Amino acid sequence: MTLKMTLQGGLIYLTFVFFLATALAGRFSRKSLSRWFWAAAFVSAMVSVTWRGLHTGHPPMQNLFEFFLCMAAALWPLSQWSRWKNGIDTETRDALLGLVILFPAGFIFSEDVRRLPPALQSPLFIPHVASYVAGYVMLARAALLALPLMRKSGTESDLRTADVAVRQTAAAGFVLLTAGLLLGAVWGKICWGHYWHFDPKEMWSLATWLMYGGYFHSRLKQGLRNHRALAALLWLGLLFVVLTLTWINLARLFSGLHNYA
Amino acid sequence: MFSVWLAFLGAERASEFMSATAMQAILAALTIAICYSGVRAVKRRRFDSAALHIGCACVMAGWLWGQHTIRTATSENPAKGSMALVDGDVSDTLWTGTQLTNYVGRLPFSIRLERFIIEHYEQNGFDREVGRMAPIREYRSRVTVTEPGKAPYVANIMVNQPLYVCGYHIYQMSWGNTVDRFRRPMVYTVLQFSRDPGLPLIYAGFAILFVGVMLFTVRVFRVKKPEAGRDAA
Repeated sequence: MTLKMTLQGGLIYLTFVFFLATALAGRFSRKSLSRWFWAAAFVSAMVSVTWRGLHTGHPPMQNLFEFFLCMAAALWPLSQWSRWKNGIDTETRDALLGLVILFPAGFIFSEDVRRLPPALQSPLFIPHVASYVAGYVMLARAALLALPLMRKSGTESDLRTADVAVRQTAAAGFVLLTAGLLLGAVWGKICWGHYWHFDPKEMWSLATWLMYGGYFHSRLKQGLRNHRALAALLWLGLLFVVLTLTWINLARLFSGLHNYA
Repeated sequence: MFSVWLAFLGAERASEFMSATAMQAILAALTIAICYSGVRAVKRRRFDSAALHIGCACVMAGWLWGQHTIRTATSENPAKGSMALVDGDVSDTLWTGTQLTNYVGRLPFSIRLERFIIEHYEQNGFDREVGRMAPIREYRSRVTVTEPGKAPYVANIMVNQPLYVCGYHIYQMSWGNTVDRFRRPMVYTVLQFSRDPGLPLIYAGFAILFVGVMLFTVRVFRVKKPEAGRDAA
């Protein structure tokens, strides 16, 4: 764990503080204050991503550090989407998620600048990574939204609203996951010579995709009878996402084409 | 779970395992089953589900087709192989193995390497501080392609920009240092050739699959207020 004593680090910690303030204001039911902090967190996360892009001279999506920065910046728009689509406030939960996302970027991952190797110089670089950034954030939010369903707290109508929100969030995440996977396959064909390399990261991504495919299938089969099992599936999916993002990239056990840190 | 297990195996062993005849038979059966689900979904007028399943089946069938091509490839009609060239070399022979020593076959056209170029980024302050050359920005093999019955032409092969000739995609795969017979240093390039007639089916599958996912999401997004007693995934 190291503190980053750079402008980049400062911007990350500022975003961190705003996330924390959003969560605290939300916890003490200061709704409008919480919203202001939430918007401020977005602005500072965007500045952080933009600065990273300017500083490195390439889209800030090359390594895990940059990926996590992008995820933090994607939180606000996706949370606004939930408010518009489902009429639910998710700031507090999303801000907590933001803290979890920014922690490794702020304290663990190195911010060393590396220039883009030839393999990453492709028009598919941004769409492939951006789909996964937004997709993973969406799926993490779906798991968080499913918490009340797991605890079965609230009235029947509350639970139904939450269920619709969970389903729509997970579906949005699933589309993005599919887009990322397919764009990755097309890019693999262009860059590495084959659309499927049985690379560990590819296999885990496919497993994650099948997992969420299984979630939608079991919804179809069971309907609403088993809230808890469905929510548990979402959390299992999130576990897969986290493992795919971190363990597979960093562990030597899974050496492959996707190794970067 | 199966996919995760394959990830633990590592890319090479997983790929080997999946190309075994028994696995391909299982996969073919799975493809037919998924295709059947798609057809059933069409009958129920659930077009999102139909596109999703048929798209998946197309992708799997395309992969099986590609595997079939590799299995039935002959030395007159190779499916996959590489060649190492230094500037000025002409070749139409494909090789395989880590040292490119196993003969695969002959291509219906020939390649002459005009020049292999490695371009670096501009050296910045950090590079100077560390005392290294700037990282590589681009590998480029400039080749002359001679197809039978056609005038020879010059083309560039770069990472992320493969060349397509007579059904083969040609990739800038690798490079290395060597010496000539007077022990002067030389750089060689490795080009990979691959022929996969299943590719259009794969891409069609991707398109159908993505349309299916979009239709599915549109349907899920249309649910505004949940109705009591009725719910679908």
